[in-house]
Amino acid sequence: MSALNALAAAFRLQVALTRRSPGHLMILLTTPLFSVIFLSLVTHGQRPGLLVNAVLAPGLIGVWLMSLDLAASIIEEDRLGGRTELLVASLTPMSLVVFGRISVIALAGALTFVESWLVAVVGFGADIPIDRPLVFVLAVLATCFAMAGTATLLAAIFIVSRARHVFQNALTYPFYILGGVLVPVALLPGWLEPLSRVVFLSWSADLLRGSMSGDLPDPWPAWIAATVGLGAAALAGGVLLINRMVDRSRETASVTNA
Amino acid sequence: MPAVVEVRDLVRVYRSKRKAEEKVALRGVTLTVDDGEILGLLGPNGAGKTTLVKILSTVLLPTSGTAKILDKDVAAAPRAVRENVGVVFGGERGLYPRISARQNLDFWAALYRLDRRTARRRCAELLDRVGLGDRADDAVETFSRGMKQRLHLARGLIHGPRILFFDEPTTGMDPVAAREFRTLVHELRKEGRTVFLTTHDMAEAEALCDRVTLIDHGSLVLDEPTEHIGRYLDTRECVDFSCDDRALLDEVAALPFVEVVEARAGGHRALVRDPAAVAQLLVWLIGRGVLSARRSEPSLEDIYLRLVGTRAMSV
Repeated sequence: MSALNALAAAFRLQVALTRRSPGHLMILLTTPLFSVIFLSLVTHGQRPGLLVNAVLAPGLIGVWLMSLDLAASIIEEDRLGGRTELLVASLTPMSLVVFGRISVIALAGALTFVESWLVAVVGFGADIPIDRPLVFVLAVLATCFAMAGTATLLAAIFIVSRARHVFQNALTYPFYILGGVLVPVALLPGWLEPLSRVVFLSWSADLLRGSMSGDLPDPWPAWIAATVGLGAAALAGGVLLINRMVDRSRETASVTNA
Repeated sequence: MPAVVEVRDLVRVYRSKRKAEEKVALRGVTLTVDDGEILGLLGPNGAGKTTLVKILSTVLLPTSGTAKILDKDVAAAPRAVRENVGVVFGGERGLYPRISARQNLDFWAALYRLDRRTARRRCAELLDRVGLGDRADDAVETFSRGMKQRLHLARGLIHGPRILFFDEPTTGMDPVAAREFRTLVHELRKEGRTVFLTTHDMAEAEALCDRVTLIDHGSLVLDEPTEHIGRYLDTRECVDFSCDDRALLDEVAALPFVEVVEARAGGHRALVRDPAAVAQLLVWLIGRGVLSARRSEPSLEDIYLRLVGTRAMSV
């Protein structure tokens, strides 16, 4: 229970920080532009069957970019602010704080789905019903959880690698392709599929598209489980890596440089 | 009184990344702090004070030796130690500047596993206690340095620890706030808490601490109850006097019963070799027209300068 309290406190902290300094939400301003590009391609190519792909892709990209943005800076900013030592000296693992804070941004990233849908409906006059709304909501929540878990792992990798910007840049387009964000994995070359299936986006993108079009993968709960499972595995890896990083920092006296 | 902090032969070595260079921050430090005691740790920059505080607050691990808090080893049982210690590092950093004081405290309360109701009550109490009740909902970035430092104190107390580590707690505070801090420390002791503080303010250490420990080059050079520290100057005593005549000052310094003459705020201080020489020096000074002269006790600052030398006295 107390761990949940700490998680909730990290969540509230990020909400408060974001309200005062909404820099991590900048992607909300650029997502509609992505939507315009994808929707223009689909409508001018007269491919109404791909409208759902064009609406969902900017949303998935938005969730990924926003979470990645915070993951790249969250530990470093605490170090520069002199808070790392105090976090280490507290009763809560730093990894829990990182996950709680990133969860806020991952959930806020889900607003990009709404933005993209509005661009399609208002800007392009498209009719895009959500065939299975409950499945859609579950898929969005599973996607946000998996994103937060993955971003926790990436936050640790950014620090360990000490090449934050290089990694941050490298972790965009390859993952959009492997994750089947715009082009479903089934349409990619077959040899890419094993690699794609370890990226949670590939499962959640299939599910989101299916929940909107009505063509759900069968059995769809397995897709939810795969998305959540991959997110949980990434979270476990992130927790282990951050804990190890803190333990090592206490040994090497680099806590303030972690 | 039982010891609540026990440090034995503590060594901390910092190694560079290539392990080619080593810096020894602590060289076999041994000390204890009794329950309810206020211990002052003094020393120049790089003496090892902050390293010691970081080890005791589980932020760093010792290279060798042991450190125990309430009989729990800081390396083997860090969680048990963290439940019982509060730490306040010096400076303005360590807070989230863009959110309010209350939001900051609320966050740290949860990290120390306080439930929400207790956390809310404790936050309000502590903000009032450190004089920030009226600014509780203002962003920390609008606070003065002293206000931030007071918020740090509240953060260190949020989980009601038995032992408190303060690293230069009055840095940046105005004199009134510093005096209130001293009152707060005395209140904390009355509540049964033990306080371990580093300070650069000798008057503060003398006024506040039951015991003073001086550390230099990673080794303890003095560890005594505050009222006994005068022993470290043996039987030497001082004469404070005002004199602007350079030649006369040189004459005083050359007197056989005077060990040294130091400039002080508002005058000079002569350290004599023997208590009997105090009267001799007073008569000598009055005879040469120096009428503002008086006998004085050696202060902690004298002890410090004597043991640590003339290096910077910043802690």
